[in-house]
Order: sequence, then C-alpha cells, then structure tokens
Amino acid sequence: MTGLHGVLATVRAVALVGLEARPVRVECAIGSGLPGLRLVGLPDTAVREAADRVRMAIQRQRLRWPQERIVVNLAPADLPKVGTGFDLAIGLAVLAATRQVRADAAEGVWALGELGLDGTVRAVPGVLPAAAGARAGGARRLLVADAAAPEAALVEGLDVVPVRDLGEVVAILGGDRAARGAAPAPTVEPANTLDLADVRGQAVARRAVELAAAGGHHLLLAGPPGCGKTMLARRLHGLLPPLTLDEALEVAAVHSLAGERAPDSPLSLTPPLREPHHSVSGAGLVGGGSGIPRPGELALAHRGVLLMDELLETPRTILDALRQPLERGEVAITRARARVRYPARVLLVAATNPCPCGHLGSPAHACTCRPDRVERYRGRLSGPLLDRLDLQVELRPVDRDRLAGPPDGEPTRVVASRVRAARAVAAARWGPGVLTRDASPDLIRATCRPAALRLLATAIEQLGLSARGFDRTLRVARTIADVADDADVDAEHVEEAVAYRLPDPVVTV
Amino acid sequence: MTVDAHRRARAAVARVAADGTDPGSLLAVLAWLVRPRRSPDALRRACRDLPASAEPPALRLEAAAGVPTTAMLAAVEQAIEPWRSLGVRVALVGDASYPERLAAGWPDTDGPPLLACRGAPHPAVPAAALVGARRASSYGVGVAAWLAEAVGRAGIRIVSGGALGIDAAAHRAALDTPGGTTVVLGCGHGVPYPREHAAVGGLFDRVLEHGGSLVSELLPLQRPVPGNVRARNRIVAALTDALVVVEGGSTSGALVTASAAADRGIPVLAVPGDVRAPGSAAPHRLLSEGAAPCTAPSDLLDALGTGGPSAAGPEPEPARPRVTVLPDEVHRALADAWPRALRVDDLAAATGRPAPQLLAALTRAQLVGEVAEGPDGVRLRRAPDAAKS
Repeated sequence: MTGLHGVLATVRAVALVGLEARPVRVECAIGSGLPGLRLVGLPDTAVREAADRVRMAIQRQRLRWPQERIVVNLAPADLPKVGTGFDLAIGLAVLAATRQVRADAAEGVWALGELGLDGTVRAVPGVLPAAAGARAGGARRLLVADAAAPEAALVEGLDVVPVRDLGEVVAILGGDRAARGAAPAPTVEPANTLDLADVRGQAVARRAVELAAAGGHHLLLAGPPGCGKTMLARRLHGLLPPLTLDEALEVAAVHSLAGERAPDSPLSLTPPLREPHHSVSGAGLVGGGSGIPRPGELALAHRGVLLMDELLETPRTILDALRQPLERGEVAITRARARVRYPARVLLVAATNPCPCGHLGSPAHACTCRPDRVERYRGRLSGPLLDRLDLQVELRPVDRDRLAGPPDGEPTRVVASRVRAARAVAAARWGPGVLTRDASPDLIRATCRPAALRLLATAIEQLGLSARGFDRTLRVARTIADVADDADVDAEHVEEAVAYRLPDPVVTV
Repeated sequence: MTVDAHRRARAAVARVAADGTDPGSLLAVLAWLVRPRRSPDALRRACRDLPASAEPPALRLEAAAGVPTTAMLAAVEQAIEPWRSLGVRVALVGDASYPERLAAGWPDTDGPPLLACRGAPHPAVPAAALVGARRASSYGVGVAAWLAEAVGRAGIRIVSGGALGIDAAAHRAALDTPGGTTVVLGCGHGVPYPREHAAVGGLFDRVLEHGGSLVSELLPLQRPVPGNVRARNRIVAALTDALVVVEGGSTSGALVTASAAADRGIPVLAVPGDVRAPGSAAPHRLLSEGAAPCTAPSDLLDALGTGGPSAAGPEPEPARPRVTVLPDEVHRALADAWPRALRVDDLAAATGRPAPQLLAALTRAQLVGEVAEGPDGVRLRRAPDAAKS
C-alpha cells in the first residue's frame, strides 16, 4: 500500500439554490478498493460527470492520479448540488489527498470553477452570488477561473485568486509561484443613445412615460402595431436613474446566475430592459426549469423595465403569473427539489392592440370587431393585474409630416432630471428606495387635500371608473404632484391622473 | 282544453292587456306565438291569406290563430310572466293603444300582430327615426345627438332601435325634449340587451323615467337574434314620418330600415360623412340612390313638413348658461372640429398647451358634461353655437 490511507483532505465550495449560496465541504479520502473515484452527497448529473473531467484534467496536467479507491463527499449530503462549479474543488481535494498539495494549504481554500479535460479552469454561471456566499460563509481566499475573477472580485473583503489551470493551482498553493491579484470589474455608467426627443407628437404618452419613470408606475400602452409603443418603452428605460452600486450587484447576481452576463464584462449601472415575446412560457417569464428553478424574465428585469408586447395575446395563465411578482417585488418558485426566491422589482410596460383587429378609433380603417368582442378582449386584462397598471394610454400612429418634422418635445436629459428629483422627493417621504407605486394608499391619502379626494369621488361616480381605480388614480396623482414639486396632492393633479385610462370602446353622447 | 285552464290563462293575459285590448283575442294570438318556430310576421301573412272581410284585425287574428290547446295555455301563462313583472302592456293591431300609423293598411302592410309597450304608450305625434351604426364615430354620435335634440325640441318624437352607438345617441339627446323618445327593441322585454342599456340606471331606465316608451313585437324572452333585430327595423321605419340614416357600414341594418321606410313612402334622409370613413358607406349609398341629404336639423324638419325654423321651427333654446370650463382656445379648437373628435395629442399641438394641463382641463370638462371621450378622441358634447341652424 502507498501510505495514503487515512489522509482526509477538505476544500470548500459553494452550492447555489437560486441566489442563495450555501457553503459545501468537499472531502476527499483515499482507501483500498477498486481504483476509481466515487462521488457522494446528492450530486446531479453534471456533478457526477466531474469524476471523469477531474481525472483527465489531473492526468493531462502531468499530475498523479492515484490507482486506488477515491471517495469524494460533498457535505452537507442532503443539499442538492447542481452544475460544474465543483470540479475545481474536487480536483484540488484529490490533489491534497494525494499530497501533491499540502493538505493544510488546501484546507482554508475555497474554489469555484469547471475543469476542462486539459486541466484548464473555466468560469461557471453565478460567480457573483457564489463568491458573495463564500464570503458570507467565512471565505478569505477564493480560487476562480481567470475569466471569472473580475466578477468575483466585486465582492468586498475577498482575496480572489485567478487560476489558469490545475498546474498553476499546485504552484500557487505550493508556494512556487505568487498568486496573481484580481481587479474588480469596472463599472460603466449608462450610455443611452435613445432620446425622448426622437419621439414626435405623442405628447400624452410622453408625459405618461415621464410619470411612469418618476413613480415606478406600471404602464399600459394601447395602440395599433407601428404607433411607437416599443419606441416609447425603450425611452422610458432611458429615463430611469442609473443603478446604485448595490443595485447593480443585485442585478448582476441574477444575470450571472442565468448565464446572461459574461463574468469578465464590466459592471453595468444601466437598469435592465427585457422584452420577452408574447409566446413566452410561464417558466420563461417567472423562472423555472428542472432541478433548481432558474431566473425568468421577471427576475432578469429586476430594477429595470419589463416590456410585454401584445399583452392580450399572452395566455391568461401567464398574465395571472405576473400578478404576485408585481405585488411583492419578487418571485417565489417552489419545486420538488428546491424553493427559491428571486428579486423582481420591475417596471412593467405592457403594450396591446386597442381591439382584436387593432383599428378601433382609427379614422381611416374600419374596426371589424363587434363591440362586445372588444369588451371581452379587454376583459382578459381584468381585475388585479389591471389595477397594477397605474397609467393607461391610448396611442395612434403619428402622421408622416410630423415624423419628418423637427423634434417637438423635451430631450431625455431634461425629463430625466425631473424624474430624479421626483424620485428623491418620494424616497424622502416613503423611505429609501420606496417608489410611489408601492406606497401605502393610506399614506398617500394623508398627503391629499380634501378637494382632491372629493374630486376623485366625483370622477369615480360620473365617469364610471371602478372603485379599484381609486387607489390607482391616487398613486398617479401623487407622482404628478411630486414631479411638480408640490407637497400636497391637489384637485388639478387628480384631474390629470384621471385622464390616464383607456376610453370606452363605444362612443356615447 | 279545460274551461278552468282557459279561464286562468285568460286572467293572466288580462293583467298585461292594454286598455281597449280584448284578453280573449290576445290569448289566442299568444297561444299561436308561443309554439316553436313561429314569427309574428307569419301570423300576419296567415291573416292576409284569410278571405277578405270587414271584421277588425283582432278578430281576424283570433280566427287565424285558431283554438289553443291546454298545453299552449300553460305555455302562455309562463311566457308572459316577465311582462307582468315589468309592467308591460300589450295591444293587438287595430286596438286603441296600438300606434295607428303602424296599423295602417294591415294586414297588407307589415305591422306586427301585437306590440308590447313598457312605459307610456307611443303617442300619436309626428315622429322621426334616427338610425345608424353601433360602432359609431364621434362624428356620427355628435350629429345624431344634434339632430335629435333640435328636432325633439320642436315636439317631434325620436324613434330608434335602442342599440349602442347612433341609436343610443339619438335616444339620449331626445330624453329631455318635449318630443320624447321611443325605443323599438330587437328582443323581448325580458332580455337585458344591449347589456349597458338594460342595466340599472342605463339608457332604458332613463327613457322610462323621462316618460318615453320601449316597444317590442316579441314575447318577453325572445333573443336578439339577427332575424329579430332586422325585423325590428321595419317597425322603427313604420312608426315615423321621416328617417335619417346617420352612419353605417355597407351591410348596416340602417339600410334595411331605409328600404322599409321607402316601401311605406316615408322620406329617407342621409347624413353625409367623411368620404374615407368606413361609417359613410350606408349614407352615401342612400344619397346616390336619391335620399335627401341631412346637414342640419332644418333639413329634417322640412322633410317632416313642419317647415323650416321660420315656421313652426324648434322652440328657442332654453336660456341655459353656457358651461365652459375649458380654456378659450381649447374650446375653440374643439368647436372648430365639432362634430368630429380630436385626439388630445392633436389638441395639444393645435393649442400649444402642455399635455398635463390639457388633460386636467379635459377631465374637468368631462365632469361638467362639456366634452365626451371616445376611442377616437374628445369632442364637444353639444353642437357649438355656430352650428345651430
């Protein structure tokens, strides 16, 4: 026997359950038995395949692969482990158990990365949440792939060691080579090239977009295809203030986990803009997939804009799935193997045709929809979801003359500064980070003049607004007052707020 | 048929029979109608095919309907229950409470065998029908309301089909006028259709509150199937002295009403529309076929033979303070566009007012009833002073 029996090496790794990182001890022992590596501790297929990758990687790096029985345990054994990020920790544990790396040198090391068959270390999705989890679990030093180092280094207080391959790991831990340092990914300010001044006409929609940005209000744009719904939604995105560093890290964590961001890319302070197609599946929107549910479009739009075009073509079940995340600002997904939560504080911009044929109210095209069909079509957007769409605007195509004409509205720069000021006022009132969209109706009411409330009651009675429209309208009125820098909500603010609703499909006297 | 069953059914019918209508005759007619696949017009044709005689229509109907069976009597009792609970009164053609104009020439003309009336009976005064599309534009609704109100003030009854759009605009505008309004339903009184109008506080309730009439030739629970709705149009035409088609597509039911009116020799007028608008197809076709253009209330009054404004004319507009809460140039822009609607974006561009201020002003104006909002924009609810002629 070789005398390796009884050596137990431990390396640390991280298992991600959604965004939540749990520390994992990777223990390796070598004993007698049929040569080979056996992995225990609830590994999924990708983790199980680590055995082959690790063996080949060690051999290709001209390191020694023991001809004995190797058992690797991922503890705690009841926690499901998913993905290829354990490769590096397993390889390192084997090297420590075979004394190619000193066991005490490996002991305090956390490792995260996938191994190639040639022994190179590769980045895995979710570096940022994993690194943050490692730090929270007590890690001081984290080995990651070169490419993942800038993202991992965003976590404060963590000594990130970029490694190219297993050979370099052995050299660094053996003291033969100094560890290369890792600089955190630089941050980039939003560079918005889509200016609000590009939009001609559409004075009402432009104002609605400003209010949506200022109060975080969800926005419904109804109009035929080609009237500029997407154009406006993208400019609304441009009006949002840049993310703070903490917010940017939250956003990056989700995108990293979903594999939507290259780990060596700079940290963007631009709020996300997601535009899923209306055929998006429930899992695609909310999150899901086999095993541990992955983030969906809602989570990927966290702290940004979620643009849902053709909202009324989206199946009812998916519309219903939007409700809870819009109310709570997060999505909770429960599956057999895991229950995860993803943040989802999105600004929803929903676009839809005014009627099934799209021509309702158009001067030159006959609407071919029967009045009751229009009502049924709109009825799909009923109840709780409609109540969350604080601002509702009907759009028409702008005539060609005006499209060719000079800009007739304010540029993004001017409007964005009002948005920033209004957000500051709102945050000072409701608390840091709280948008008027999420403010309590009672608190809003307390800032309204009696005349404003009286007017709203009259409007609800006379214009046939639903009682549900009450809170919706008050929220918008509050934001209108904030944009005007008025402390109290007055009648004129309510008057404007009342106007942001879709008109009846039938013309009446 | 047992004597008892007959007596009970007759008593039930007596409760809904109008003044001057014989419950026995009405019972026979109802017993004929309650059977499946029976239409009011089929009964009229049966009467027409009887050998000519001088007896009143009610007796002819009774003869054509035959003797009811016990099963039919029970069915009648059940079928007319909604009439009783709604306070509907039913008259047979030729009876005192049945509109004389509708009965003229019967059974060779196509008046219905019975007319069920809710509210006051349709009065024997000059009447005009205003009909048109359900999917009306602001232009059509504006013109219909303008005509109906001005003509109603001259004491003319406004008759229409109670549908959404043009019909509703005409009825609503005539509510407060001396002429009043009559709604001819395309379904039974017990069927809430159209839903918006049959709802509590809806158009039909308001018609009743204002002393108007809701009439139907159908049994209470007969549905507004296309056949019933089209058949209703002939009654609209026959009740009136002139018909105006305001707006309608190329297959509009308004064309059916127009040809029914032409058949009876009732003058047909049409309101010219925007040549590109889909709702102009029906009126423009009528104009090309010889209908008179109706461009102001005076055109309609001329057709009614009541003379222009110089003769009997509309009574002067009651001195009501002109409520305008809109800034002057906004009101002017809307008045210039009337009866068309303007989109708020265009209004903003035309007046140079910022959108927020304009939206607030328009909400105020909507609350005092100065403007109305539709899918094609906002418009003044009443004709601006310049348009009165």
